[in-house]
Amino acid sequence: MKAIVALIPILPFVGFLVTLLVGRRMKHQAHLIPTALVTGSAALAVAAFVWVHEHEGELFHYEPLAWITAGGPSSLWPGVESVALKVSWGFQVDSLTGIMLLVVGLIGMLVHYYSIGYMSDDPGYYRFFAYLNLFMFAMFILILADNYLLMFLGWEGVGLCSFLLISFWFRRKSASQAGKKAFLVNRVGDFGFTLGMFLIFVTTGTLQFTGVFEAAEAGDIGAQTLTWVCLLLFVGAVGKSAQFPLHVWLPDAMEGPTPVSALIHAATMVNAGVYMVARSYPLFIQSEWAMVVVMVIGTFTAVYAAFIALTQTDIKRVIAYSTVSSLGFMFMALGAGAWVAAVFYLFVHGFFKGLLFLCSGSVIHAMSGEQDLRKMGGLRRKLPLTFWTMLIGALAVVGVIPFAGFWAKDEILAGAYSYSLTVWVVGIITAFLTSIYMFRLMFLAFWGESRADEHVRAHIHESGWVITIPLVLLAVPAALLGLLAGLPPEAGWIHGFLEPVFFEIEHHEFHWVGAGGLLMLVSVAVVLAGIGVAYRMYVRDVEEPKRLAHRLPIVYRASLNKLYMDEIYEVVPIRATVSFARWLWMFVDVKLIDGAVNGVAALWAWAGVRLRPLQTGRVQDYALDVLLGLLVLLVIFAWVWVV
Amino acid sequence: MMPGGDFHPVLFVILAAWVLVCALGVVLSKKVMYSAVSMVFCFLGVAFAYALLHAELLAIMQLLVYVGAISIVVIFAIMLTEVVEGGYRQFFTRTALAAAALALLTAGAIVVAVVSDGVAGATEKTLNPGLQELSEILFSRYVLPFEVISLVLLAAMVGAIVLSRKQEERR
Amino acid sequence: MSALEWWLVLSALLFCIGAFGVLARRNIIVVIMSLEIMLSAVNIALVAIASFRTGVPGGGTLFALFIIALAAAEVTVGIAIVVGNYRHQRTVQADRFDELKG
Repeated sequence: MKAIVALIPILPFVGFLVTLLVGRRMKHQAHLIPTALVTGSAALAVAAFVWVHEHEGELFHYEPLAWITAGGPSSLWPGVESVALKVSWGFQVDSLTGIMLLVVGLIGMLVHYYSIGYMSDDPGYYRFFAYLNLFMFAMFILILADNYLLMFLGWEGVGLCSFLLISFWFRRKSASQAGKKAFLVNRVGDFGFTLGMFLIFVTTGTLQFTGVFEAAEAGDIGAQTLTWVCLLLFVGAVGKSAQFPLHVWLPDAMEGPTPVSALIHAATMVNAGVYMVARSYPLFIQSEWAMVVVMVIGTFTAVYAAFIALTQTDIKRVIAYSTVSSLGFMFMALGAGAWVAAVFYLFVHGFFKGLLFLCSGSVIHAMSGEQDLRKMGGLRRKLPLTFWTMLIGALAVVGVIPFAGFWAKDEILAGAYSYSLTVWVVGIITAFLTSIYMFRLMFLAFWGESRADEHVRAHIHESGWVITIPLVLLAVPAALLGLLAGLPPEAGWIHGFLEPVFFEIEHHEFHWVGAGGLLMLVSVAVVLAGIGVAYRMYVRDVEEPKRLAHRLPIVYRASLNKLYMDEIYEVVPIRATVSFARWLWMFVDVKLIDGAVNGVAALWAWAGVRLRPLQTGRVQDYALDVLLGLLVLLVIFAWVWVV
Repeated sequence: MMPGGDFHPVLFVILAAWVLVCALGVVLSKKVMYSAVSMVFCFLGVAFAYALLHAELLAIMQLLVYVGAISIVVIFAIMLTEVVEGGYRQFFTRTALAAAALALLTAGAIVVAVVSDGVAGATEKTLNPGLQELSEILFSRYVLPFEVISLVLLAAMVGAIVLSRKQEERR
Repeated sequence: MSALEWWLVLSALLFCIGAFGVLARRNIIVVIMSLEIMLSAVNIALVAIASFRTGVPGGGTLFALFIIALAAAEVTVGIAIVVGNYRHQRTVQADRFDELKG
């Protein structure tokens, strides 16, 4: 098992190095090594999952290498009783890790295969696979880590890869700017994460999960400190998982190739925030305030993103906002205490959101790069496979029984209901909006007459098998996973599986007849109503959206312009920072520092000019200087001698 | 050769005055020839000084070399070069004043150093070895510098000849 | 003040007069003459010290002897240079020899 766990991240790292070195020469074969290695990792991940499944409740721990050993009493600061910092490359596998391993490994592998076809005529082919492998490495490190610092290493690593892959087509200005935006916004979150880590270390003296959680349960951490720790860690999650107000990078991240969007911004990286909060469960349950904050932000983000998704015209952006909304849902669940539900949703979400992105990639590929929904239509007949798989994905997202999304989402809603009625109402509204915008997308793209340009229309064709097979492979779990893992509700396989991780959870008894069943009925009804609304607006009466937009112009424009979030950011922090940076440049750097450096040089030049007349070319003058020097020496010696 | 403390103050003062006045004559004369003649007399005085110090060999050498040879060379040089006329300013460099000041200061410094702490050592005059002893030392202990000096003199001769040749036109 | 100190004072004064001559006179030949005076001053000092202190027997005298020989060589070459230079620049004014200026 040790070898299995250690190899999981090592294989893709090797793939990254090798592909960087020899990839360019391999040209169109460059995918062979990285894909093979990732397949290996995925297989090992499944093996690890099986192991966890067999060893119920056990925590696998493996610490092969020490990383940082610093501190301890030091002769440099004798008065300070410094604390030793010991961090090691340690791995930890439990049920939660097992689930994450499945998601990351399988979806990562499928995306690699998908990319073979999707990126086939891209000049940076080998670079793409190298970065993908690097990402897999970082993501595995993140989920396998047994301490906060190593997790942070993976955290930063996936952030880096996100940047590299978003701005993959770096010659396009919008792409490189989107990459920068993602990285910078993430950084804000990382700052919170770092502060949280500092606080943890200062109060508990360790960064290892087991150590920290023990300290927390023993009550060693003060209540206020604990809340701060949770909040700071959560800031990191807000950045990484694109929650309000640090969500602005995710829609722009769609500048990256679609496989990137599928892998990183749907199935894996953005889940890191949820994973981190879930992992820090022993910390969060002790702090009511932190849970409230998590829940509020999650809930708000969910409905906020759904609202914006209603009017977006880029197919990928709709799905991006859907991801933000789904993540909000997960945080809402976490905050409301429905931990298992949140992880369950994470589990299935990876599959169906990844599926949706990959399908959209297939659509874009077929449309010769067109991403605007207004220019699509009627693809149902021309792209049957893509259509059916995407339909499954859409049904999963909105949560139609018996697809995967339904069971997970419903459990979240149930948890919300038992927490607070208001939250449940917001959740229901979000579900309603979700089905509207999702099926708006479906209807606009696949129904009706094609609104594409002439030459685009001629080229529309179903994608090759390298693309479509992953779609089918993903559609299966999107359809069935909910049934397999979550049935019966509250007592399904996943609940038992995750129990060792989320101990002390209240278990609600689920009754088909009674509150539980009623809630289920309501959510199904709401979802179907949403589909119906979308149908009416985009199939039956195509002019209806425009009329609605006219009647509610403010609402429409608010949604279309993402509630002006980017503009707010521009005005408030960005301008001030940029002007400050400019001032620092023009004044401090140019005038002060350059001035000082150039000044020194100028000083010497000036001195040289002034001293030049000493060189008269006449020996007698030089001899005079010698005599002068002699005199000075004599005086000095005499002085020393006398004194 | 008289053993024992035989410092003749009177002789010394006469000698000192002679040498210093002639040196001043060298340095301050307007006419080069006057400087040269002053120099000859100065060397004579220095030879006398060596004699007073019982270094007879040196005194003879001084007369032979300095008075007999170097002075001649200098006078020849004066004859071969120009004569400058003019006021006092013409004969001194622009830094002459500074040089005078510095020289005075240096002299003062050395004198003060010598006089204030004195020179530790015997005031009794010891013997300067005579010719025989000096020759023995010269050819045994210092034979190497002796040989080297002859080489130096050879080099100087050759150099002087080469430098004074008429430069022929190279075609 | 002992006898030796008198001799050393004489030497110092003579040395500085020579130094002044080297630094202040324009005519190079006078400079060379002043240089000889400086050397003589040094010789006097050497011999004086050798006469009044024990050390290598005859060391001071022989040292002075070597200095005389070297002074002769030096004057020879120096005068040759001066005369040669005079041929080209038709002057013996030290002020004029400043081609290495700046």
